[in-house]
Amino acid sequence: MILTPEVLAILILNAIFMLFATVVFVLSVKIYLNWDINCTSKAQYKLEKQSFLAATIIKYIFVLKIPLFLFFIFTLDKISNLLTGAMCAAGVVDATEYGTNLIILKIINLYLFASWLKLHSEDMKDKNQPYTKPKFGLFILLFFSFMVEIILEGIMFGSIEIDKMVSCCGSIYSSSASSAVSGIFSLETTTVLTLFYGNYLLIVLFYFFKKRYLFAVANMFFIVVAIVALILFFGTYIYELPSHHCPFCFLQRDYYYVGYLIYGMLFTGTFYGFVVGFINKSDINYQISLLINSVYVIFVTLFVVIYYMKNGVLL
Amino acid sequence: MIELKNITKIYEVNKNNMVTALNNINLTIKEGELVVLKGASGSGKSTILSLIAAISKPTSGEVIVGTNRASKLPDNFASDFRRDNIGFVFQKYNLIPTLSAKDNIILPLVPLNLDVKEIEDKLEMVLRMFHIEHKANQLVKNLSGGEQQRVAIARANINNPKIILADEPTANLDEKLSLHFIEMLKELKRDGKTIIVATHDPLFFDLDIVDRVVEIHQGVLA
Ligand SMILES: Nc1ncnc2c1ncn2[C@@H]1O[C@H](COP(=O)(O)OP(=O)(O)O)[C@@H](O)[C@H]1O
Ligand SMILES: [Mg+2]
Repeated sequence: MILTPEVLAILILNAIFMLFATVVFVLSVKIYLNWDINCTSKAQYKLEKQSFLAATIIKYIFVLKIPLFLFFIFTLDKISNLLTGAMCAAGVVDATEYGTNLIILKIINLYLFASWLKLHSEDMKDKNQPYTKPKFGLFILLFFSFMVEIILEGIMFGSIEIDKMVSCCGSIYSSSASSAVSGIFSLETTTVLTLFYGNYLLIVLFYFFKKRYLFAVANMFFIVVAIVALILFFGTYIYELPSHHCPFCFLQRDYYYVGYLIYGMLFTGTFYGFVVGFINKSDINYQISLLINSVYVIFVTLFVVIYYMKNGVLL
Repeated sequence: MIELKNITKIYEVNKNNMVTALNNINLTIKEGELVVLKGASGSGKSTILSLIAAISKPTSGEVIVGTNRASKLPDNFASDFRRDNIGFVFQKYNLIPTLSAKDNIILPLVPLNLDVKEIEDKLEMVLRMFHIEHKANQLVKNLSGGEQQRVAIARANINNPKIILADEPTANLDEKLSLHFIEMLKELKRDGKTIIVATHDPLFFDLDIVDRVVEIHQGVLA
């Protein structure tokens, strides 16, 4: 059990989220089952008001969740000072069997919340509100996923033991590790880079041929491929150390918090890729996605190019 | 055409305090008609006007204004609907005292992003129509009651709406000014506007420009 002020803040906020999300969940079920925009009954007018209330609460939760995700990473980083052996957030994530899953689930939930908001904004553009039923259906799913996240987060902080020795990122993210991530290191760098740039080219291709579903799927793969490429290859150029593969250290001040920019771009660019596939295939969404993904690719590539120009060799 | 179908409006102040302002009302008003809504204070007149203007939603039933289902419009659409279709004249005018008459009148045009020429044309038209040109640059707080009333009507007409809703328009006016107001109504009626005047002022009940007097008692039409 670990209870720093940061952890306490997170747990209290989670309790508040749970309360409000439950309220919205109840409303969502009612709306999902009974919504009929053409009906002029008392019940329907009431649902219309409640749908505004529910949407407002969801918006607030999402607006808080974005900085809270960064705060979560920051908290892990901070806790790493207390754990023997940990140098950065990676050690804390690895300290329990829940850490990695929790981060993945948090990211998935952010995508789901963002999708919800996008769907909501489409809904509000039409006076017949065609997406009200689907959007509250989505929230019903989102609610369960969100509750699992909150419970998992509680369990994770509950099961971190201060006096237990944990690994540092140098050993977790290395080819000799036996953890789940070590599989990454059995991949050839050239293969991963081919996949990375190939995947990016596919995104460009689907952009020009306006294939919305393929565009979305390519974006989905791109998140995974880009993170693997980051751990295996690009990260080492950010650290300028051939053996340092950690996907967390560059979130620290030593690296000018560049990780927040990198992940921010990756998540935003690919999110708009999903939007194109599943919500709205307007040109602007295509363009935002392609633009941010392109900047991402150029940005991480620049680390390699600059290293080469400075040193005349690659790592 | 304006249609109210089976409209009930209950103000739920709290669980133990519910006010039934309108009880299952049906009312149809044709285009170009001038209808006087007659009733004592608290009978539900303002509530009817606010439903037609999509300022509030009924508890049940439907309001249709032209091609719009006013009672079904989400808030963001309701304000556009109001701006494009409805001119509202309030009892207390609801003018901004520290702005000039001119600025008050063109206020509804702000969100439309019109160019200066267009705004001036519209302004000039309503200034002339309601005889307020000579006071255009004065602050509203320095105008008399009758002049403020004309500014309020000019503002209600700046978007050239098809429908004019007036809520107790003569409550603060003496008889002479009330007659002035009726002159302006004639003008609007000639213009083909649909007009609803909510009032208990007897002055309105047997005017020849009034097509119909609808009586309301405690939320029920007589
Ligand atoms: N916002 C409100 N909350 C609670 N009760 C209201 C509200 N607005 C109006 N009422 C009540 O509804 C009834 C009708 O009011 P209203 O439509 O303003 O009548 P009128 O305009 O004919 O004087 C009155 O009993 C009034 O007290
Ligand atoms: Mg009133």
